[in-house]
Amino acid sequence: MELPKDKKVIKTRHNKVVYDCGDTVAKVFNATKPHADVFNEALNLARADQAGIDVPELVEVSKVDGSWALVTKKVAGKTMRELADEDPSKLDGIMKDFVKLQLDVHKHRNDLLNRQKDKYTRMINSVTEVLDESTRYDLLMRLDGMPNHQKICHGDFVPSNVIVREDGTACICDWAHASQGDGSADCAVSYLHFKLNGQDDFAETYLKTYCELQGTTVEYVSQWFPIVAAAELARGRVVEKDFLLSWISVGDYE
Amino acid sequence: MSEAPETKAPQVEEPTRDDGAAIIVHSDEELTEKLAQMREAQKKFATYTQEQVDKIFKAAALAANKERIPLAQLAYEETGYGVVEDKVIKNHFAAEFVYNKYRDTKTCGVIEEDKAYGMTKIAEPLGVVAAVIPTTNPTSTAIFKTLLCLKTRNAIMISPHPRAKKCTTEAARIVLEAAVEAGAPAGIVGWIEKPSLVATNTLMSEADIILATGGPGMVNAAYSSGTPALGVGPGNNPAIIDDSADVVNSVNSIMQSKTFDNGMICATEQNVIVLDGVYDAVKAEFQKRGAFFLQGDDIDKVGNTVIVNGAVNAKMVGQPATKIAAAAGVEVPAWTKVLIGETESVEPSNPWAHEKLTTILGMYRASDFDDALAKASRLIADGGYGHTSSLFIDTRETEKLQKHAHAMKTCRILINTPAAQGGIGDIYNFQLTPSLTLGCGSWGGNSFSGNVDVHQLLNIKSVAERRENMLWFRTPEKVYFKKGCMPVALRELKEVYGCKRAFIVTDSFLYKSGFTKKIEEPLDKMGIAHSSFWSISPDPKLQDAQKGEELLRAFEPDVIIAIGGGSAMDAGKIMWTMYEHPEEKFDDMAVDFMDIRKRVYRFKKMGEKAKFVAIPTSSGTGSEVTPFAIITDAETGIKWPITDYELMPTMSIVDTDNMMTQPKGLTSASGIDVLTHAMEAYVSIMASDYTDAIALKAAKLVFDYLPTAYSEPTNVEARDHMANASCLAGMAFANAFLGVNHSMAHKLGAYHHIPHGWANAVILTRVARYNAAERPTRMGTFSQYQYPQAKKRYAEMGRFCGFTGKDDDEVFENFMQGIEDLKEYIGVKKTIADYGVDEKYFLDTLDEMSLNAFNDQCTGANPRYPLVAEIKSLYLDAYYGRPATSYEDKGLTIRDSE
Repeated sequence: MELPKDKKVIKTRHNKVVYDCGDTVAKVFNATKPHADVFNEALNLARADQAGIDVPELVEVSKVDGSWALVTKKVAGKTMRELADEDPSKLDGIMKDFVKLQLDVHKHRNDLLNRQKDKYTRMINSVTEVLDESTRYDLLMRLDGMPNHQKICHGDFVPSNVIVREDGTACICDWAHASQGDGSADCAVSYLHFKLNGQDDFAETYLKTYCELQGTTVEYVSQWFPIVAAAELARGRVVEKDFLLSWISVGDYE
Repeated sequence: MSEAPETKAPQVEEPTRDDGAAIIVHSDEELTEKLAQMREAQKKFATYTQEQVDKIFKAAALAANKERIPLAQLAYEETGYGVVEDKVIKNHFAAEFVYNKYRDTKTCGVIEEDKAYGMTKIAEPLGVVAAVIPTTNPTSTAIFKTLLCLKTRNAIMISPHPRAKKCTTEAARIVLEAAVEAGAPAGIVGWIEKPSLVATNTLMSEADIILATGGPGMVNAAYSSGTPALGVGPGNNPAIIDDSADVVNSVNSIMQSKTFDNGMICATEQNVIVLDGVYDAVKAEFQKRGAFFLQGDDIDKVGNTVIVNGAVNAKMVGQPATKIAAAAGVEVPAWTKVLIGETESVEPSNPWAHEKLTTILGMYRASDFDDALAKASRLIADGGYGHTSSLFIDTRETEKLQKHAHAMKTCRILINTPAAQGGIGDIYNFQLTPSLTLGCGSWGGNSFSGNVDVHQLLNIKSVAERRENMLWFRTPEKVYFKKGCMPVALRELKEVYGCKRAFIVTDSFLYKSGFTKKIEEPLDKMGIAHSSFWSISPDPKLQDAQKGEELLRAFEPDVIIAIGGGSAMDAGKIMWTMYEHPEEKFDDMAVDFMDIRKRVYRFKKMGEKAKFVAIPTSSGTGSEVTPFAIITDAETGIKWPITDYELMPTMSIVDTDNMMTQPKGLTSASGIDVLTHAMEAYVSIMASDYTDAIALKAAKLVFDYLPTAYSEPTNVEARDHMANASCLAGMAFANAFLGVNHSMAHKLGAYHHIPHGWANAVILTRVARYNAAERPTRMGTFSQYQYPQAKKRYAEMGRFCGFTGKDDDEVFENFMQGIEDLKEYIGVKKTIADYGVDEKYFLDTLDEMSLNAFNDQCTGANPRYPLVAEIKSLYLDAYYGRPATSYEDKGLTIRDSE
């Protein structure tokens, strides 16, 4: 396919460029992105859709100038991040809506989605250069001991991935990291995201709100911290390596 | 206790030393195959005798003991945790204390035998033990677990932690080699060379039991593996120092424990809660002994260095205080042994509230003891459920000690003890089992709350031989009989018992007929004051008894004399009970029992206020020698059957003079009741030689004398023998109990008002035929009662009564016919219908009546355990007088009843 000439760049990341193509949005990955990952993201999106979650409509997966691209219908509205930036006084309300949306996603089920524990096991096993054998052993043992849940977890649930339409409904995009598992792991990922962004206060408010609305404890969610930090390392985060390692290198002792 | 088991010592092969005796798993794929090899070794080990095992256990313990210092050094070098010299103590403890504890413990074959009770206990190994060993105590835990396995003839496959792999396996190797040298099979100990989650999980799912020592993740994995697991978990010991405590001992105990192996033992104090009154003194003593109190921001700095997101920073585990301070950027004196942070919040958001596993200690100030308990409870909830808590106190403060023990949800509560060394047992308390695996109970998600010992690694078989219950023969101390004996016997009231006030219970008919006069006269002569109560109806009512009891209380007798039939004697017993124990409730006393010795209700001692004399005036009930009494609540219609040997009369007087005026109907009904008592007692599952003898005699007397007593009421000889028959049959069923005939007759009386003796008679041969089945649907349950034998028993009784035949079947038939003939002679009707019972009413109440008969107390001793549907069909057959049929199980009855 060809992208329209008047396309606008929405954002650029190290492995992709996202374009506004008028009626559609095209995520064009660079050539090194494995095509299986692109199709997996499309499949995750389709499965979230199938489960009844409000997601952008999938249009096509095709090649653009030799690179794979994922095209979805454009959703008119503003992301929660934009809304928060525009009017910080509304932050409390937006935070509550954000957590409620995340908990709503967790209420959905699709047993064909990848399993969270399998995904994290793969990721932990992949960081052989940074994590030594015994740290990986501890992480895998910790992961293995966590309960098995079947909630749909977005895996990258952050305010910039939530588009709020004019009528107040919200659409959730970017399903690359989705899996089925424990909602608290999903919460740990979001919390880590805020911490890595330097939004410490925001992170604490988020965690507190999540735990309150979900009826869980900070202590329980924090059992996932070493695991999601290791997964973050597996995604090639090098800048925050020391920070992530401080989260990872904790004991689960007798 | 038994002799040593007689298992023959197997030939022990020479160990193969070249490749080492261990089974080493080099890859995940090899594990299953290596476990199979280990199982072979264990199978051989399982045949070893106690003597062989003890030799191996000793050799292995000695070897571990000798190598305690190199192993401690190796553990420190490899893990970087703790203190070599303290690890030496842990290794020494694991080898020496554990050996000492079990040196004489029987763990092989027969370990207990009680011939009298027929109980033998046999210890068997479990098989392959999966042992997960932590980094904090690697060598000592390895020594501990391998020694326990050797003592119990189990094999052990170790999954070491990657960070402590070398030292863990070295400890296991030392133990194994010494064991093999002492005769253990090679391959009884092994380990995973390259620990991985896959290998650990495979091991856990394939082993026979898991000894998991590790963090919550590991313990969860163990419990979810499907294999039985003994897992332990984290502690968060809060130590309270009460204001009554010896401050110097308290502080130095905590310092000794907290610094031990740099605070890595899971029982170690993590926080100290100090009562306001001694706070300053405690603080000063801590400072004197090398603790450094952090100031201002330094508290947070150290807290956040050691605890990250509520978990322990791996780099800080088991480190010296000075190193931790340096890592946190805090300057402390070089002599600092423990860093103390004075803190307030016990919530988990405070890093100090967590388990720290290193040389830092949180310190809280408590306003009073309750405040201290509240803080300690919260800290335990922060991650120490089930593990250990400590209290320093003057042990004379018993109330506080109890309060503390009650409040702590921990499985070890240590008093005035350094917790690290105290929790592992046998150092500061010699009843606490020495162990390096400390169970945390259900609070800690564990299956076990004690210190793990050899018993958790054994399957104990209980070989229980069939034994028969002790039986008894109980009867009133004095049973006086013979025509004219009453006035003689009554003399004892004065001469033996020194009675001064007698209370006479009877029914109005006997009272009016002057029966009581025959008692009052001798009482008057002896100068015994007396009073009478005569409003007893045929089915004695609770309300009558209550009225009588008021009189009793007012009169305050020291003897109660009940004269009459069953009703008067039963009412007398009830009034006696109420008089002796007015506080007792009938619905407690009347609760049904399966075995009178095991019932919930314990009857109160009788005879404290008054003696009880029973004098029968009819030949039937036997109540003068039984522990039974039945009373009906007129308001509710409920019958309370009260049974206990405390209800036995003090004296029974069976005087034929009192029997001579029985009307014909009473002679018939009560006479056939005697036969029913004798027959049911004879076939009862509780029948014994003692009851058999008297039941047979009673039955024979009925056949010999009832017809004459019936046709010639004034025949003294017949009356005399029938009086004895009644009393004898009473003794038989007082000890062997009755059966379903009485269960059913009780309900025919209750629902359709058929006199009791005739209610028994109208179903008697039918029920006997039902009991005599050789293939009953269900048999009565009692150890003595081995197989369905009622037919043989009926035949025995038949022969004794003079019936003959070529075999049991024929004698049985002739006996039944004899009973039918006797019934006819004394005017017993043939069917229930003949007693004027309305068919519709009978059928309407039949289901309820059948169920109630099933539930009657008499049913339990019946040789055939009846189904409700069977009772129902017996009732129906008896109602319509259907011809007798076989009551063998036809395979339909159970379905019918469902």
